[in-house]
Amino acid sequence: MSSTHGIPRPKPKIKPPKPRGPGTNVQEDWVKLSHAIKEIQNERANQLSFEENYRYGYNLVLYRQGDFLYKNVKTLIDEYLTQLTEEFIVPAFAAGNHADPTTRGQEGELLMKGLRKVWDKHNSSMRKLSDILKYMDRVYSVSAEVPQIIPAGLKLFLDNVLHRKTSPVQEQVVDAILGQIQVERDGYTINQTAVKECVEIYLQLEDQSAKQVYFTDIEPVFLAETRKFYVAEAEKLLQTCDAAEYLRRVEQRLDSEEARAYYYLSASTSPAVKAIVEANLLSPHLDTIVSMTGSGLDAMIDANKTDDINRMYRLFFEVSTHTGGPQAFRKGLRESILSRGRLINETNDPLNGGPDEVEEEKGKSKQNTPVQALSLALKWVQDSLDLKDKFDLILKYALLSDRTCELAITEALGSFINLNPRAPEFISLFIDENLKKGLKGKSDDEVDIVLDKTITLFRFITEKDSFERYYKSHLARRLLLNRSVSDDAERGMLAKLKVECGFQFTKKMEGMFNDMKLSADVMSSYRDYLANTTAPAVEINVTVMTSTFWPTTNSGAMCNFPPELLQACGSFERFYNTRHSGRRLTWQPALGNVDVKVAFKAKKHELNVSTFALVILLLFEKVADDDFLTYEDIKNSTQIPDPELQRQLQTLACAKFKILKKHPPSRDISTTDSFSFNSDFTSPLHKIKISTVASKVETQEERRETQDRIEEERKQQADACIVRVMKDRKVLGHNELVNEVTRQLAHRFHPNPAMIKRRIEALIEREYLERREDRKSYNYLA
Amino acid sequence: MAEDSEQAKQSDWVKIISKRDGHSFIVPRDVAMGSGFLRNSFNPEAGFLEGTQNTCEVDDRAIIVEKVMEYLAHKNLYAKAGPREEIPDFQERIPPDIALELLMAADFLEA
Repeated sequence: MSSTHGIPRPKPKIKPPKPRGPGTNVQEDWVKLSHAIKEIQNERANQLSFEENYRYGYNLVLYRQGDFLYKNVKTLIDEYLTQLTEEFIVPAFAAGNHADPTTRGQEGELLMKGLRKVWDKHNSSMRKLSDILKYMDRVYSVSAEVPQIIPAGLKLFLDNVLHRKTSPVQEQVVDAILGQIQVERDGYTINQTAVKECVEIYLQLEDQSAKQVYFTDIEPVFLAETRKFYVAEAEKLLQTCDAAEYLRRVEQRLDSEEARAYYYLSASTSPAVKAIVEANLLSPHLDTIVSMTGSGLDAMIDANKTDDINRMYRLFFEVSTHTGGPQAFRKGLRESILSRGRLINETNDPLNGGPDEVEEEKGKSKQNTPVQALSLALKWVQDSLDLKDKFDLILKYALLSDRTCELAITEALGSFINLNPRAPEFISLFIDENLKKGLKGKSDDEVDIVLDKTITLFRFITEKDSFERYYKSHLARRLLLNRSVSDDAERGMLAKLKVECGFQFTKKMEGMFNDMKLSADVMSSYRDYLANTTAPAVEINVTVMTSTFWPTTNSGAMCNFPPELLQACGSFERFYNTRHSGRRLTWQPALGNVDVKVAFKAKKHELNVSTFALVILLLFEKVADDDFLTYEDIKNSTQIPDPELQRQLQTLACAKFKILKKHPPSRDISTTDSFSFNSDFTSPLHKIKISTVASKVETQEERRETQDRIEEERKQQADACIVRVMKDRKVLGHNELVNEVTRQLAHRFHPNPAMIKRRIEALIEREYLERREDRKSYNYLA
Repeated sequence: MAEDSEQAKQSDWVKIISKRDGHSFIVPRDVAMGSGFLRNSFNPEAGFLEGTQNTCEVDDRAIIVEKVMEYLAHKNLYAKAGPREEIPDFQERIPPDIALELLMAADFLEA
């Protein structure tokens, strides 16, 4: 049965319904109803009969008095609200500007509670009114197109209480709310519930455009206040806090503002507040925070403050995503790495520090202490590895393996490593050291880890060709002096390099391994051959090296062999030529070593010395024990070049085992010295290995030589590359050509455009290319 | 409909009295709640006289009140009926002679 069904079809015998209620006196009904409404407002509803009052409303509407009823009810509500406001709100108005936050807080709270009380009373009475006047809502309000009584009541509340014209309720309440928030921001506790209840009123009320009053009355003022607060806050914090503390405060602020927005404001305010905090506390100060002296990012990294770094990362990346946070952070990260890198470069390699004179001077002092130089080189690599490890850890734990940060770290590491022009040499030395000595006592796995780490450093190097050169010469030394601990480790390293740089890169090194193997074969057949012929007095072991595979940087040195050696060499040469005709053997005494038995006064010792040292020692065989040979004598009879000779003599006369006596005794060899055999030499060891004084870190001259060679090689590579590109394209513009060549060479080294330009000119001279008429591009000449 | 914990404490039955001839009807509370008028009058939150006494007087003849209660019971019974269940038509049970009066009562009672 529905009330909207209309009139049923006429049927016979329908009795007319009796009019409802006894009286249809509108005025009387209204008097009773208005009395009831007042009773309800005074919270005495339990004395009223719902049925009666409902019927009054029903009758009034039924007798077309809806308009009258609606208006009068509104007036009653109006009066009621006025009375409530006067009673509960106005007395709670703030008396004045109290400086004491507690008093202000209490006043504000009182006012808010008053407002809430009025609101609650009003709502409670409105619910009852709405029950009683339901019929009016259903029938009159709909047809008259006026709001139902509850929304009408809300509107009355808004107009009559909050936006009251006669007293400043609105200002007072907003002031109270802001005051409470301010008090809380200052670190005091407030009655959050009171604020929440007060704000809720604003959230429930809507203005004409159905927008919550909160967004017009409270939010804008609140945001303005917030902005003001944080401008001041930023200034205060920047002056009093270090970076870590600052960020901690910022985080707290963000958290508490968010909690505040969710708890007693509107959740939709949260992003705006967050933006304000960000815009005032973070964005303008990003760089200041990162580079704060003694507490910025760099200091955090120093102290391994993962939490602080992580906080900075989070704030910069999540909060300041679009205001330069990530950029500032990455910049700080890069600078931190670079400054650390520079420190490593400076402390471990003073050679790169100052201008040329200083360099020369330092270079000299370094030559005197090659061991120290070597350890510096190793330390440089170790420090670099440590630095990388440190940042890897930071990346993993503090930066959550952020890709962009990883990139920044890699970039910075790469650039500091490449700032050290000797990086390739040092890294190769480090590998050398590890494959030579370091591996003893380490398990294969540990070796692998060390080498893997080294490879990561190697990846940063842009001048890979330079590394290749050093690696080859170090490898050669390991192979020839049989110092490499395990062939497996060597090959493992080679495999790693191959993965990094491809087959081309390791081809020659593999050739070196191959030569070692072939030489072993050759030697075994040579021994068979000797067994059938008369063997020479000295037994020799030859390594045949393919000249293109092996680095021959330091091997120019020749000497006059004593007859015993010449004989042995001749024997091998004859043998070798029977097997391979047309190959020329060149002896490289600089790379060899010899076992020789020497009779001293005390006893005989077996010495292992370099070939040069042997040649020198053999000279003393013909000299009486007390006789001298001058430096000049030795030089003339051996023909060993000066630097090499000095080194050998130093080894024999000034190092740990003094086989020769030097006159006058001193640490350095000069051309005026003379030498005699030290027949008083004693040693508990029977077998003595006298290794040439190490000169493993290159001296300035060697370094220059190496540089020249590398330059030369690069020229050739650039030539080859240019020709290759031009052969393919036939015609190409200058810039395109330079770009293409740079791209192709990039995995070996970083060619500079000027150099490519010179190579192009050289190729034009040699008529591989010609300039076209436009002067900007080239033709390939077949 | 009457599952408020507040109301659960109260009696599950309410009394409806016809003012005109004094007949009273005791009906289950949830059946009575089918009427908006009755629901509001028994609403304990509002706290009207009816709510405290669990009794509501209605200004209709008993026969009308009876029919309304019958309808409310009918409505309550089939309110949760599945879509395929057959719901008997209540119209057949309305005697034509009280139809108009019943209609007005229904309007008043929001049934």
